[in-house]
Amino acid sequence: MTERHDSVILHFVVRVFMVPFIFAFGMYVLIHGEASPGGGFQAGAIVAAAIILGRLTLGHDHAGNRFPTRLLIWLASIGVGIYLVAGIVPLFFGANYLDYSQLPVLWFNNVAQHERTARAMGVFIVEIGVFVAVLSTLVILYDYLTERFQDEVDD
Amino acid sequence: MHKLTKWLTLTFLVAMVGLFVYVSADLPDRADPHAPANEHLAGEFIELTAEEIEIPNIVSAILADFRGYDTLGETFVIFTAGLAVLLVLQRGYKRND
Repeated sequence: MTERHDSVILHFVVRVFMVPFIFAFGMYVLIHGEASPGGGFQAGAIVAAAIILGRLTLGHDHAGNRFPTRLLIWLASIGVGIYLVAGIVPLFFGANYLDYSQLPVLWFNNVAQHERTARAMGVFIVEIGVFVAVLSTLVILYDYLTERFQDEVDD
Repeated sequence: MHKLTKWLTLTFLVAMVGLFVYVSADLPDRADPHAPANEHLAGEFIELTAEEIEIPNIVSAILADFRGYDTLGETFVIFTAGLAVLLVLQRGYKRND
């Protein structure tokens, strides 16, 4: 548990400028991971940095409301699960494990009005899974390490 | 005896550094397209990314598609690290109460 830092300037700068910008930048790195340097691991680390910055300055009691540790444990499992499901689903369409070319996602081309291969969409699905898993795991590490520390200070 | 070990270690390290420097002269250039490391699969990855996956970033294609099993393992490593910290610290937390 991190205590709330007592400075109006710090709160304003962090809440209005830094955390939203870091979030947006993390989403940019995730979405453009197919066209430029980036991807799930990097975007997860960047967004986790934004969440940890919020916990450091606003305190765990305030910032932890948006992303409680319980939810993050679920999210970490779901992220790994997305990857696993993306690997298992092609098995039912006569392809190998993790062969995205047989993923049944081509209907999404009609919805989004673009032309992408199933393998490109498989890559993106996997990146989202990695993103969610890395993001939640890093924040879980921070939460549990600081919780232990605070417990020892109280004794 | 201690001093002898120290000198032996120093001689060994200097000999190894000399060997590495001598061997490094025979290594291929880093950007050499005909280096053995670049001839086996690299060209295939570059061609298949353009033909079958059709995304501009070859690194992402290799990471998530051609070497997808490896990345799955990496994700599990990170997930397991978080899980281990959670289990260890949570148990210690309860025992103090």
